[in-house]
Amino acid sequence: MGKYIVKRILYIILVFFILSFLLFLIYNMLPVDKAAETAKEEVKASKGKLDYEVRYEYWQKKYGLNGTTVERYLRWIGLKPYDRIDENDNRSYFGRLNGLLEGNFGDSNYYGKPVSEVIKEPMKNTIFINIFATVLALGITIPLGIFCAVKRGSKRDVAVQVGTIVGYSLPTFIIAILFIWLFAVLLGWFPVNGMSTAGSGEWSAWRQFWDKMYYLALPLIVMTFCSLGGMTRYVRSSMIEALSMDCIRTARAKGLKEKVVIYSHAFRNALIPIITLVIGWFLGIFSGSLMIENIFALNGIGRTYFQALTNHDNEVVLALQMFYIFVSLAGNLITDIVYGFVDPRIRVNK
Amino acid sequence: MDNNMNTGNSASKKENKFVNALKTGWKWLRRMFLGASKELSEEDIFTVEKLESPGRMAVKAFFRRKLAVGALCVLIALFLFVFIGPFFFPIDLNYIDPLQANLAPNMSMRSVPSGLKNNVRTISGVSNFTVGVSSDSTLYIWGATKLAGTNIDLKDFDPAITEGNVYTASAGSDFVIAVTNDGRMVGWGNNSRGQFGRNELLNTDDPVILMPEKFMNEKIDPEKIDFLLCGYQCVAFIYDGELYMWGNTKACINMKEIMEHENEDGTVGYKNVSKVSLSNYYAVLLMDDGTIVAPGGFMDFMTAESSSGKKVEKILPYANSASLDVVDIAATNNSYGFLLSNGEVLICGDTNYGVAAFPTIAEGEKVISIASGTRHYVAKTDKNTVYAWGHNDVGQSNVKGISAGDIFPGAKQTYVVNEEGKLIKSVGTRGYVFGTDNLGRDTFSRIVHGGKMTMTIGAVAVIVSTIIAIIVGCVSGYFGGWVDMLLMRITEIFSAIPFLPFAMMLSYVIATKDISETMRIFIIMMILGLLSWTGLAHMIRAQVLAEREKEFVIAAQAMGIKEKRIAFRHILPNVISTILVSVTLDFAGCLLTESSLSYLGFGVQQPRPTWGNMLNGANNSIVIKFYWWQWLFPAIFLAIATISINIIGDTLRDVFDPKSSQEK
Repeated sequence: MGKYIVKRILYIILVFFILSFLLFLIYNMLPVDKAAETAKEEVKASKGKLDYEVRYEYWQKKYGLNGTTVERYLRWIGLKPYDRIDENDNRSYFGRLNGLLEGNFGDSNYYGKPVSEVIKEPMKNTIFINIFATVLALGITIPLGIFCAVKRGSKRDVAVQVGTIVGYSLPTFIIAILFIWLFAVLLGWFPVNGMSTAGSGEWSAWRQFWDKMYYLALPLIVMTFCSLGGMTRYVRSSMIEALSMDCIRTARAKGLKEKVVIYSHAFRNALIPIITLVIGWFLGIFSGSLMIENIFALNGIGRTYFQALTNHDNEVVLALQMFYIFVSLAGNLITDIVYGFVDPRIRVNK
Repeated sequence: MDNNMNTGNSASKKENKFVNALKTGWKWLRRMFLGASKELSEEDIFTVEKLESPGRMAVKAFFRRKLAVGALCVLIALFLFVFIGPFFFPIDLNYIDPLQANLAPNMSMRSVPSGLKNNVRTISGVSNFTVGVSSDSTLYIWGATKLAGTNIDLKDFDPAITEGNVYTASAGSDFVIAVTNDGRMVGWGNNSRGQFGRNELLNTDDPVILMPEKFMNEKIDPEKIDFLLCGYQCVAFIYDGELYMWGNTKACINMKEIMEHENEDGTVGYKNVSKVSLSNYYAVLLMDDGTIVAPGGFMDFMTAESSSGKKVEKILPYANSASLDVVDIAATNNSYGFLLSNGEVLICGDTNYGVAAFPTIAEGEKVISIASGTRHYVAKTDKNTVYAWGHNDVGQSNVKGISAGDIFPGAKQTYVVNEEGKLIKSVGTRGYVFGTDNLGRDTFSRIVHGGKMTMTIGAVAVIVSTIIAIIVGCVSGYFGGWVDMLLMRITEIFSAIPFLPFAMMLSYVIATKDISETMRIFIIMMILGLLSWTGLAHMIRAQVLAEREKEFVIAAQAMGIKEKRIAFRHILPNVISTILVSVTLDFAGCLLTESSLSYLGFGVQQPRPTWGNMLNGANNSIVIKFYWWQWLFPAIFLAIATISINIIGDTLRDVFDPKSSQEK
């Protein structure tokens, strides 16, 4: 098992580097030369006292933009030290490793702050929203899926099946618009968008929390609703498979109560694929919540990413893209490991 | 006798054959749509049961499910709608019309009320509704009278308006002004830009000129009214030869100059004006002496096109030359037309939409009056024949050659009336089935064209991803070893890419490159295809791995058939069911992804429509609440498409899987 895990981790690290290199190449297709821009501004401000070429070289070295693409990539990821301007210059950012792996995500040219600061608050919100939505979704889909599997073929099951087809056929934004129209505009139960009431900063923490929950209620409902379709169908099918196992027949023949058969025997067997799905899905909704955050104007990383793209804030785009890839790879790794634990055949095969 | 018998027999045989053929045809038709019936003919019972291929069984099982057949029919209908529809509903991508913006679905824009049909005195309209006054002085209004985004319904007349007391009325963009027989001028509708009366909530962004006090409070003499015209948030009123204008000065840029014009005798304002024409930006004046005045100097450098075929360098000196009098003027949204006393028509300004494409006037006829809609002109000759030219997207110019007493162009309609005031023909738009968007474009035709785009992108993306998946899956499954290892690692790298953010970033990067829109769309198709093949490749590989061990492959190998041929010719057909199911479900997925991307603004760009970017405007509560037709209809079409595709995909999976059919 240990060997398997180590193998997977090494492999994932390799994929991480390949993907980040790919991303870096795409990023380099952008017609932006940060060093040239800064140098030009500087030369302009000095009214011709400074030499453009010298300053350009200086800023290139400072930003780590000199050398070949591979060199630049290695500096950006944090595996190659930045060039020194001259041997006597010992300022902190020269001659050192200062890349992604050292925690340097670059500076946002739109906000004028380090990227890590820009994405700190949105990250908290996104994680909060996603965990909440996952708990809600699982709380509904698992019982519903089990119910449908047990009552397979009944009218209620068919109704749920049709409902879930509708649920996963509609894109998130249409469901969101419909829900806003219904619950926020027509019925007026929830606010249309935003994260808190204006001037709520002076309220007590408890009241602030409820205010936030009031604003997050509709996005969470939409997110939960969107995940109902796929998840319910998945739980249902794996539960049906589990119910057709021989051990279930034996359990019934023993005279066990139907409840015990379903929840203790069948559901345990159905749980294996569900767990792996849940992990992968939880990490997948980080990019899924991008849409929700934009529609409801929630201050999450999805919205930050979208705004960075529209504001041409390239460093933030790159950092968040790396975050998405990191999350996705972490999801793959955890899924692999969990699979390895629950299904010994997979370990042997590889 | 015998002969007769024979012929009779053969005739009945022929008939039988024909009837049998019909019966079989009907049976199959019914089976296709309603599933197989339980009745079996005797023939069927006694024949030996034929061995059916799994594919055929699957097809039969598919057609036995009513839901799936229904979904298939819906999908085919939708395909025909979006791929044939564009030929019937052509679209001008650059067309916008602010006067038709945000209209709710309405098909009554040409429905002249029956009370007006036989005794028309005047008809006027510049936007989405039309106002008419009958010869017995009754006011009628029709069209989209509910103003977008407000609670105002123009059908709620001012209380001063009663049956039989309206002298004249004119419709503006969002208001109506009428003069009653007893000399009161009343207006109703939107007056936030000073269109009539006094409004305390005047919009402060636009400077307005208010309606003169004397028309509001004092009685006016209807006999002295020479002319009344409402335009885009502004009014021109000629009373006793003197011109008064009020309303939004941004809607009529030279309004201030007109009202502050100083005459030689020191008085202010234009006198001896006989007619005014309003475009969306300026007013042009026709004076009693047959000259035209364009205050503000906007027309000083305009060239004009003449119906005689020549180009006129400077319009004003030419039209105002002593030898020729101007007898009539008209203005569309963005162009101005002048009729000279010799029957020559001059058009200046923006000559888009064919407003300068003059029709040939029949020999011996001379144009004696012109009028205009928002994008078309109509003219009447001295022989009472009607001619029309200009924009004809909804048939508003289809009145050529009719003999008429009078012509009243609406915004996008033309009403032709005979000498007795009877309406003899009305052409132009009836309205918009699905309403219009915020730029006045017809939602229906945009749905048709957007569907074509969305479906094409989805289909191409699926084809691309399927081809890649088949190659990768087959090769890696069949050959195994290091090829499999390598291809599967590549697959995993691709599957680790987070789809939506990555597609957004790629779209953002290619947006910075200088490429054509078509190329951009092509690249988007490729991005969608390249990012979505991994799941299917995994599935195909697993299936091929299972098939590879079967006897027929060993047999094929023993016969010395090439490896490549075995992989693609012998094994691939066995995994076709998996591919088919996946292609169907992926198609729905690609439709959703494309529309999500376009919705966020990273897919196909406006003005080219797709179902996704048509919903782009729907992310604020005003649109969601007031302009429901702008998002509901594209959303319904998208939903119908994806739901029916998913139902078909699900059913295909069920019928191909023998295990699931046993269960049921």
